[in-house]
Amino acid sequence: MSPLPVWIVCGGCGTMLQRVSQSVDADAFRDVRGDRGLRIGIPRALMFYRYYPFLKAFLESYGCNVQPSPPTNLEILGEGTDICVDDVCVAVKVLFGHVSQLAHKVDAILIPRLVSVEKRGYDTFTCPKLIAAPDMIRYSFPHLPPPLEFTVDISNAPWWWGCVRLVRRLDLPLRGIARPYMTAVREQERYEGMLRSGLLPSDALKRMYNGNGVPRPAYISEGDVIVAVVGHPYLLGDPIVNKRLIHWLDASGAKVLGSTMLSQEDLEREEPSLPPLSWSYERELLAASSSFMKRKDVDGMIYLTSFGCGPDSLVTEMVRRELKPAGDQVLMEMVLDEHSAESGVRTRAEAFVDMLRHRKKMRSNTGGVG
Amino acid sequence: MKVAFPHMGNAYIPLRALVEYLGVEAVVPERPNRVTLEKGARYAPEFVCLPFKITLGDCMNALDRGADTMAMVCGMWACRFGYYAYVQHLILRDMGYEFESLLIGREDPRLVLDKVRSAVGRGAFRKLAGAAAMFRAKAGAVEELESLARRIRPREEAMGSTDTIMTSYLEKLDRADSLRRIWQLRREQREAITSLPVRESNGMLRVRVVGELYVLLEPSLNFDLVKRLGTHFGVEAQPVLSTYRWLLSPLWLDPLLHLSSSRARRISRTYLPYILGGEEHMTITGTLDSQADGFDGVIHAYPLTCMPENICRTILPSICTARDIPLLNLCFDEHTSTVGTITRLEAFVDMLRSRREQDPSLTRLSPPL
Ligand code: SF4
Ligand code: SF4
Repeated sequence: MSPLPVWIVCGGCGTMLQRVSQSVDADAFRDVRGDRGLRIGIPRALMFYRYYPFLKAFLESYGCNVQPSPPTNLEILGEGTDICVDDVCVAVKVLFGHVSQLAHKVDAILIPRLVSVEKRGYDTFTCPKLIAAPDMIRYSFPHLPPPLEFTVDISNAPWWWGCVRLVRRLDLPLRGIARPYMTAVREQERYEGMLRSGLLPSDALKRMYNGNGVPRPAYISEGDVIVAVVGHPYLLGDPIVNKRLIHWLDASGAKVLGSTMLSQEDLEREEPSLPPLSWSYERELLAASSSFMKRKDVDGMIYLTSFGCGPDSLVTEMVRRELKPAGDQVLMEMVLDEHSAESGVRTRAEAFVDMLRHRKKMRSNTGGVG
Repeated sequence: MKVAFPHMGNAYIPLRALVEYLGVEAVVPERPNRVTLEKGARYAPEFVCLPFKITLGDCMNALDRGADTMAMVCGMWACRFGYYAYVQHLILRDMGYEFESLLIGREDPRLVLDKVRSAVGRGAFRKLAGAAAMFRAKAGAVEELESLARRIRPREEAMGSTDTIMTSYLEKLDRADSLRRIWQLRREQREAITSLPVRESNGMLRVRVVGELYVLLEPSLNFDLVKRLGTHFGVEAQPVLSTYRWLLSPLWLDPLLHLSSSRARRISRTYLPYILGGEEHMTITGTLDSQADGFDGVIHAYPLTCMPENICRTILPSICTARDIPLLNLCFDEHTSTVGTITRLEAFVDMLRSRREQDPSLTRLSPPL
């Protein structure tokens, strides 16, 4: 791919235009050829939990060797925290950690850039940090394998356009793109089916790539109270980031529902009753919260956010003030950051489940009498 | 109807003119300060960005003074600013305040126009045109006053003399009620300020201030950065944004503003190809241009957890290292202390001075007044 346009027509006053283009890190736009066996690394963060199966299947049908970074561990988290600016959300810090894991192991790094993910009557966006994730990475690491982008900007270009751009960037033949594309779409559908069936992103991925031998996790099974957890897939799906919240809920005997388990139709149904919001993923969370709050069988809801998350800081307010629970669900907000301690999350999870259980017992008692 | 709008720098002067020309009463609360911020922060979500907290406090002040309609621009952008009014009004209503919302940009423009018409009565369109003219004239006058003051302040002989003049003219401008009077004041203020005795100013340090709009323009949030640099350190600080720019660019009243911001978008596209909804293009372009424009360094000011500026924050160091531009990051939140900020400014200015001493080629003639 050629470097970004150097010729910029002068507006207002264009004296410094020529200098500008020189400063771009030449490394960042180095050519890569998608030969057989080209090792493409995909960091296990942010949009990994949404689109990894698609990207993997797509690139592998072209013969590339797709390497995800290892599951998050404390070292990766620490590394990300060190490299990254301090006041961004933990999700982005984790991304930095994963990129630095991959930096010396692969020939190219693929970072999805989600600009807008749906078409509506008004402009839609995702969080600015998802829009600019590849830029942040490009200018934060001095020596990085050439970054690849997979751009999704549905309000301006269809989904497959991102694939075409990726293929062009890799200098691969555009002819015959349909087959890899269809394979990838099927894989993505399979993955989404698994999510609907109640698996959390991390477990669904495990099951997809390690076969059905992976036992069904315990949180799906019955529990005497039902706790819904609403949060971004990269918070729900990463046990290091959420400090094994799901595990602790499960261990205290609750059945866990995640916002990733709702289907598009479930979310669409809530649409009319929601305040307008142009962040698509946040609107999904809002719709998920609203949908869980309407369900009588759900006893409590945990809204998971990461510290310093821009959109969530306002959306939690909307959830708290706008949505009216149908039954008497209890809402708990849980803020995660890189310093959260597992013991703290555990205590809160256990106390929350105990409280729900107690309330339920009280209710059935009074219900019996009345 | 008593309309109130949040403060931002001196924006209240043209805004009040706009509202009052229409024959509607405007409620302008006192200028925000740290107390306002604390008040807002108590009710705002914990890690929302700072402008939200201070404008929430400001709205509370306005409502306490009897405002019954809260006006605010909003929209559907990638950044939080578009949702400020919506969420703030939710919070205020939950607190028990009662008022009407005038959400400019979110509601159908016809609806807003209807509200205006019903409040204004007959001849609404003619009045609107007149109000727009007043608004623009006052905005222009304030802008001129501010930019002159920024140039003169670091050069003034008697410390504080610029600000005395500035305060008095701001007050006069706020009271001016005809276009002719505004033009007359504009002439007077220009004369008054430029005739102040000034020192020899060659070799004076100049820094550019980039960052988030509200923090850049609201003195109570940035501890009066620009003024302090001018008066106490003798450094000319020039922000890339101005109230004038913010007020006028959405209204298409000044084509030059559009040229400069589309130029900024084009230049910053290499670094940030997609719009993030904040002032990121001005931050990047302002930094890139700073050497050519004769600045010694760049100060990047932004509120804690601000999304677009945090992204710039990860990009700016690599720009600045590659081009050898000194950079100071100032991140503000409600706990930031004055002393800490001043110490950092001091160290930065010292560093700029010693850079010049080591490399005399960096010393440029300051541009003439
Ligand atoms: S949505 Fe929140 S958590 Fe996700 S990247 Fe944006 S700021 Fe971070
Ligand atoms: S630019 Fe920053 S401070 Fe301003 S609204 Fe957006 S996130 Fe908040």
